[in-house]
Amino acid sequence: MAYKDFRDFLATLEKEGQLLTINDEVKPEPDIAAATKAMSKLGAETPAMLFDNIYGYNDAKVAMNVMGSWPNHALMMSLPKNTPLKDQFFEFARRYDQFPMPVQREETAPFHEVEITENINLFDILPLFRLNQGDGGFYIDKACVISRDLDDPEHFGKQNVGIYRMQVKGKDRLGIQPVPQHDIAIHLRQAEERGENLPVVIALGNEPAITTAAATPLHYDQSEYEMAGAIQGEPYRIVKAKDSDLDIPWGAEVVLEGELLAGVREFEGPFGEFTGHYSGGRSMPVIKINRVYHRQNPIFEHLYIGMPWTETDYMIGINTSVPLYQQLKEAFPNEIQAVNAMYTHGLVAIISTKRRYGGFAKAVGMRALTTPHGLGYCKLVIVVDEDVDPFNLPQVMWALSTKMHPKHDAVIIPDLSVLALDPGSSPSGITHKMVLDATTPVAPETRGHYSQPLDSPLNVEKWEQRLRELLR
Amino acid sequence: MHTCPRCESKKAEVVSKSPVEGAWEVYMCPVCIFTWRSIEPETITNPEKYNRAFKVNPADIPFAENVPALPAKYIK
Ligand SMILES: [Zn+2]
Repeated sequence: MAYKDFRDFLATLEKEGQLLTINDEVKPEPDIAAATKAMSKLGAETPAMLFDNIYGYNDAKVAMNVMGSWPNHALMMSLPKNTPLKDQFFEFARRYDQFPMPVQREETAPFHEVEITENINLFDILPLFRLNQGDGGFYIDKACVISRDLDDPEHFGKQNVGIYRMQVKGKDRLGIQPVPQHDIAIHLRQAEERGENLPVVIALGNEPAITTAAATPLHYDQSEYEMAGAIQGEPYRIVKAKDSDLDIPWGAEVVLEGELLAGVREFEGPFGEFTGHYSGGRSMPVIKINRVYHRQNPIFEHLYIGMPWTETDYMIGINTSVPLYQQLKEAFPNEIQAVNAMYTHGLVAIISTKRRYGGFAKAVGMRALTTPHGLGYCKLVIVVDEDVDPFNLPQVMWALSTKMHPKHDAVIIPDLSVLALDPGSSPSGITHKMVLDATTPVAPETRGHYSQPLDSPLNVEKWEQRLRELLR
Repeated sequence: MHTCPRCESKKAEVVSKSPVEGAWEVYMCPVCIFTWRSIEPETITNPEKYNRAFKVNPADIPFAENVPALPAKYIK
């Protein structure tokens, strides 16, 4: 079942006890970011937060931590909120396989209610605020940014929907970070080669399927809208922009239409990133905003990002793990069991696999390094047996502590590519990578004393089920 | 004009005032693009107390790396 818009999702969160409304007055800084960071520290089942009494504003509403927990991630997929993580992973993988789901086009959208084309001032339109103390300004970091391939503008799949950090740098001006590996950087390159500005649309406050799809590593020609449809199990609704041929999520709270300025780079940052470190002090492209639309009394959705875990990690955990899982299954369809690439966007990944023969698990680990996502991540790949749940870290630690022999099972490959934001990379974007084989040796690898693995008493599973019922 | 707490230029200007009159103002520095609100803690608003590690020297700004790189035709 699909959520029709952002408000529909918030209403569900509220009904399920997963939305906390803060009616007490808060200051824009440091209260909203501090409260959100504090919420992340309270565990993996926290609610979203809605601030509706912000000092200096009459009727501003700010929503935070909207997908910042596993129950909220489950509700994103309309699953029961207590769905175990591994089950969420397999359900996401099932829906990912339903790609592509055709879109549904609409003529009008709720965000058409208010339209501004003169004297645009983003500082007045949005209740912007600082997230972290070293940030160079006020950012927008959970919005969908939409652009098209200029050489193949009719190709719907090559239209990109991505989430990029954007610094508000003037009343109608945003800085944006399109890392060279990002799809929008390809579009920008095309525009700059032609000497033309690149039309872009920015949609804020969306229902969570498009946010999830936009944060999923897809192939360049795969449509995030068709993936959002697959994730929500219904066609995704879009509406055309007025100043360009771009498609916009129908349910957005606020929409900004503008253009990425060809040939312009301007000082940006720093900004606290998902790596738990600031990055910035570089010159980045600039977007000029020409048109703004929003719903009456729009809700401003924002995302606190900082030292993991925060909402980002819940938002990009499963949807990073599933493509890696699918790509590994293409190579080893009968062996790969599950993949957990949830740590700092997959800088650390854990793969559960069967082994066909000695050395097999290392090959699985090496294959992960050469997947599209692995080229920029997977600095450490831990491979575990098929009966180890990669989402259960105590089990993974058990595998490392008993199955891994450092002499045989630690493989280091020098000077591979990694995202430049990895603070340990040196030079920036280059790192050694490591595969740790924590699987049980199989023939012809006969080392160790693994012939007597512990089994469980009979009927443990029956008891487990019975106890769950008794404890309900 | 206001002094930028980060690069200490004197050119920062008001870009927004609170909808509730007199609660706060937002300033932006055109030199280093730092943006701040008048009621933020002194470690943000006061040039003397702004975190040294995050200070910006205006002379360094033109030498900041371009990300992504600019195509050759734009490089003067
Ligand atoms: Zn400054």
